[in-house]
Amino acid sequence: MAVLCTFAATGCRSNRPTADGVPSGGVPRGGELLASVRSEPRSFNRHASRDTTTNLLSNLTQAKLVRINPTTQALEPWLADGWTTADGGRRVTIALKHDVVYSDGHPFTSDDVLFAFEAAYDEQGGSALADSVEAGGKKLQVTATDAHTVVITFPAPFAPGIRILDNLPILPRHKLGGALKAGGIAKAWGLDTPVSEIVGLGPFVMLEYVPGQRVVFARNPRYFGKAPGGGSLPYLDRIVVEIIPDQSAELLRLESGQLDMMTSEIAPEAYAPLKRAADEGRVKLLDLGVSRNADGLWFNLRPGALGQDTRAAWLQRDELRRAISMAVDRKLFADTVFFGAGVPVYGPETPANKIWYWPGLPQTAHDPAAAMQLLASIGLADRDGDGLLEDAQNRPARFTLLTQKGRPNLERGAAVIRDELKKIGLTVDVVALDARAVIDQFLHARYEAIYFNADKTDLDPGTNPDFWFSSGSAHMWNLEEKSPATAWERRIDELMTKQIASADDAERKALYNQVQQIFFEHQPIVYFVAPRIYVAHAVRVTNLTPAEFRPQLLWRPDTVAVGR
Amino acid sequence: MTRYLARRIGFALFLVIAVSSASLVLARLAPGDFVTDTAGIRRQTLEQERARYGLDKSVGAQYLDWLAAVARLDFGYSLQYGRPVRDLIPERAANTAVLACTALAFATLVGLPLGVVTGSRRGGTLPDAIRAVSLLLLSMPPLLTSLFLVFVAARTGWLPMSGMHSATVPAGGALVDLLRHLVVPAAAIGLPLAAMLERLQAQAMSEAVKEPFVIAALARGVPRSRIVWRGALKAALRPIAAVYGLVIGTLLSGSFVVEVITAWPGLGSLMLQALRTRDVFLVAGCAGVGALFLALGTLVSDLALAALDPRARESQAERG
Amino acid sequence: MTRAVGVALVSIAVLAALAAPPVAPHEMDAHFGGLLNAPPTVMRIQGEDAAWHAPFIYRWRLVNQLEQRYEEDRSARVPLEWFSGGHLVRSSNEGSAPLLLLGADSYGRDVFTRLLFGARTSLALAATAALGATLIGAILGGLAGFAGGLIDDGVMRTTDFVMVLPTMYVALALRAVLPLVLTGPQVFALLAAIFAIVGAPFVARGVRAIVRSERRQEYAIAAQALGASDLRLLVRHLLPSARGFVAVQITLLVPAFIIAEATLSYVGLGFPDPVASWGTMLHDASTNIRVFADCPWLLSPAAAMFLVVLGVNLVLQKSRPGVKSLL
Repeated sequence: MAVLCTFAATGCRSNRPTADGVPSGGVPRGGELLASVRSEPRSFNRHASRDTTTNLLSNLTQAKLVRINPTTQALEPWLADGWTTADGGRRVTIALKHDVVYSDGHPFTSDDVLFAFEAAYDEQGGSALADSVEAGGKKLQVTATDAHTVVITFPAPFAPGIRILDNLPILPRHKLGGALKAGGIAKAWGLDTPVSEIVGLGPFVMLEYVPGQRVVFARNPRYFGKAPGGGSLPYLDRIVVEIIPDQSAELLRLESGQLDMMTSEIAPEAYAPLKRAADEGRVKLLDLGVSRNADGLWFNLRPGALGQDTRAAWLQRDELRRAISMAVDRKLFADTVFFGAGVPVYGPETPANKIWYWPGLPQTAHDPAAAMQLLASIGLADRDGDGLLEDAQNRPARFTLLTQKGRPNLERGAAVIRDELKKIGLTVDVVALDARAVIDQFLHARYEAIYFNADKTDLDPGTNPDFWFSSGSAHMWNLEEKSPATAWERRIDELMTKQIASADDAERKALYNQVQQIFFEHQPIVYFVAPRIYVAHAVRVTNLTPAEFRPQLLWRPDTVAVGR
Repeated sequence: MTRYLARRIGFALFLVIAVSSASLVLARLAPGDFVTDTAGIRRQTLEQERARYGLDKSVGAQYLDWLAAVARLDFGYSLQYGRPVRDLIPERAANTAVLACTALAFATLVGLPLGVVTGSRRGGTLPDAIRAVSLLLLSMPPLLTSLFLVFVAARTGWLPMSGMHSATVPAGGALVDLLRHLVVPAAAIGLPLAAMLERLQAQAMSEAVKEPFVIAALARGVPRSRIVWRGALKAALRPIAAVYGLVIGTLLSGSFVVEVITAWPGLGSLMLQALRTRDVFLVAGCAGVGALFLALGTLVSDLALAALDPRARESQAERG
Repeated sequence: MTRAVGVALVSIAVLAALAAPPVAPHEMDAHFGGLLNAPPTVMRIQGEDAAWHAPFIYRWRLVNQLEQRYEEDRSARVPLEWFSGGHLVRSSNEGSAPLLLLGADSYGRDVFTRLLFGARTSLALAATAALGATLIGAILGGLAGFAGGLIDDGVMRTTDFVMVLPTMYVALALRAVLPLVLTGPQVFALLAAIFAIVGAPFVARGVRAIVRSERRQEYAIAAQALGASDLRLLVRHLLPSARGFVAVQITLLVPAFIIAEATLSYVGLGFPDPVASWGTMLHDASTNIRVFADCPWLLSPAAAMFLVVLGVNLVLQKSRPGVKSLL
């Protein structure tokens, strides 16, 4: 009994410090934020790893030249003070902020910017960021004219311009220069590095890493950012990022107030309990609008992938995909997979992409009869009256749909697709494998159809060449083609090349609309519904700038604050 | 006896190598590898990463390299953590040991006596109720039991719901903090375990009370409770001993479901994560350690069996 | 609690499984799009007007889709139909007011229907696997305990190896090697084989321990002196003494196998989707964060499993004549 009381007593008192400083301009200072991630970081070095936790870590401890505001899509200067363009946009002169120092006091100069590019481009280094800071597949030329000015020259006209610099953290040369010379930036700053070695320009520094449990960040007193009123940033004293692998446990903690925020959106079924918690005043629930990404269904369109399989006659045809797009009731899809919180989409862009989404794109009506007619035109009809389609040789119209186990949105989406296609006579075998098995099959083009995500990071299509170009590594339906396999893919290659190079915004928009039109006509990927993004956070967290892109609440950690 | 022990330990070592090898090979053969974590990465980048992690070697070559390293007591590096497997595993194993021992102690202290009570009586509401509760606990998947306990912890707010330590050490001290974090995961493992021990003990007890010596003791006027708790219990511990070592072994290799749900940084969750990310040397290391614990567990079991049953010991002496 | 109760429980379970198609109100893969996670439809006989009617239900009306809140539509009674359409009982308006005795799951499928069909899959699998494990384990354990020496060592070390090999890794490797699409019966055979092999060592160890000590008993030596062959001694005298232990093991293995089936489905070695099984139903329930607070009917497979295991346990318990009066 006494033991229980001790336990209860020590538990009731919150361990988390609340704000105590005098609010500056109404924003409370100080305090600790408790956030959660689902997996451990793979490295402390953004060059070594792509995973979300490493990205978050990098977001908190490193700074970049510019930052894209996900809500306004505008480019915000960060380490850069301002920039001027010349030569039709091919040459950008960036003025760097003065009197900026790293967290260990070492001054920041243009040499560090040069180092950042060297690290990304190093052939030996194998940086994960190499492709993200290229323009049209080619490296940028970077020179420093003085300690606070950098000139970037693009190899060819590149419309997105320095937007791609949002991908490049400016790591310290005085800490990592040696590692780069020794032959591998990606080998540096692994998880075994003592946290005091991790130096950056960002608003926070790493204080502690407990493997398997948490990463603790403390305020960087030398951070260069300034609050609107002139005070120093960040407002928070500490951020504790707990590693909670299980989603249910994470949600229970958020709901009961033992967590301030998650770093990803909540699952649809979590909405109900969080709404209850919000009504009771324990959390705040935010609707961040439609997601910029939707899961898609695509077929293996590599010529010859099916070998001798007789289904090659219809499995890789456009008509099949267009029929599927017509046969699946998108409203039912949204209702089943996202409980109604989803928006039908018919192409790779969603309404979240305010600049590039084309509302004029034709929207496929839900028409199973027309779908069946389309299938009949490629030889699939119900020849024996059993309700299922067969081809001309009376073989059943059946294919395998690969998806990832453990992701409810994908599994349920695949189930809906299966059920809807059954109504028009197509039999779909859904096979759910674990993540790496799916990716392995995908990379080796050993699949028939797959329902997966092809997420884009930035909204400007020019920053996603790997998806659009037939030679790209993210050209999902036919990876890294040596030359375009179809006429329409060649056309898209041409249009995108123009689109990326053009300096005229109106022309770029028109070109991209044409690309979306071609995509719609051939449906290499069939999209169904884009979900709405919901996040929840504790009531004490204030001054947030929520955006629908991950990390929704921590993409700008320097201005987040916690109140009483 | 010493020859027997030597033989068993020798076999245990062989078992560990065999299982680690099998796991290493299986992890390499499983589809995907450590670098294929997202779709859409350039082939060249993937190849470079593979080379960096040493995954471009053939399975055979990598296995032989590993074997040679093991002979030097170097168990490779974790691809994810970048630390030697030799350092990583004992840390996590210690965490699991803390959890396992607490759960085991709880299960033994609760399950065995309850089993004695249930087994030594014929009918009655108490034994029936205990049996029903045991069967209920055995019917619940460990996933649901842990989730339920986390849910209860969330609703009542008395206990922390996950992790092993708090971010900031509270006033009560680090030990109290650990104990509070221990309650939910230990209960999640300990309750079904107690149920299992109770069932086994009940069964064994009901056999033991039929032994002739029980009737003889009764006839001599020995008090009933003494018969149950001294004489019959000793006989009934036989089958328990047979599985106890096993239980220890399985526990120590990690109850990964509970560890994942309660975010307990133990060996089980490490093993699951290593498997998911195809962290091949870590997989081999975890499997090897798991095998080691199980092999030791069965050895402990057999020794306990021999100690408890002079009849078995006798046959052992015959074999030498 | 008597053996009769146990027999009754097991019989009900087996009957329910066998008679699933007519007893279940719906087909196994029937799903209702507008009724995701809907609560059970309560069967009533007294209406709003306080008059008595034939059994009926009220339709569930979706109040808030995102929050998945439902409300009974008290305006119209939906009477139930008995013995119609090949089913024991159904709602008269299957389209918009289906009978959901245990509510619906997150795909809108009737939990009660899936419980019954799942009973077939899971019980058959668990029973087959348990029998297999018991058979293999008893033979191996009996052999080891009886023969002693090298055979004992050999058998026991083999079982050690099997126990120690992480099943998940083997399952993952198997998944890679097998064809992508496996039919229900193929998965059944595969899982039964895997479980039987994985479960056998536990049985084997206990049986071996018992046989080894029983072998030294007077009755065994006497039987041998009387000329009983080794085989006869083993089968007729020694193995039966392990019956109690084996019975307990079965009650431990059956739920473990049902649950393990859900775990293996995580690496892709599970039953293909429309096939219902208790293991996957429980796994789906556990991924639903609202299960304990709002949708406890999703846990009905656990309750069903408990009743079955209880029944099996009661059936297998031995009667103990003569002891009651003494202790």
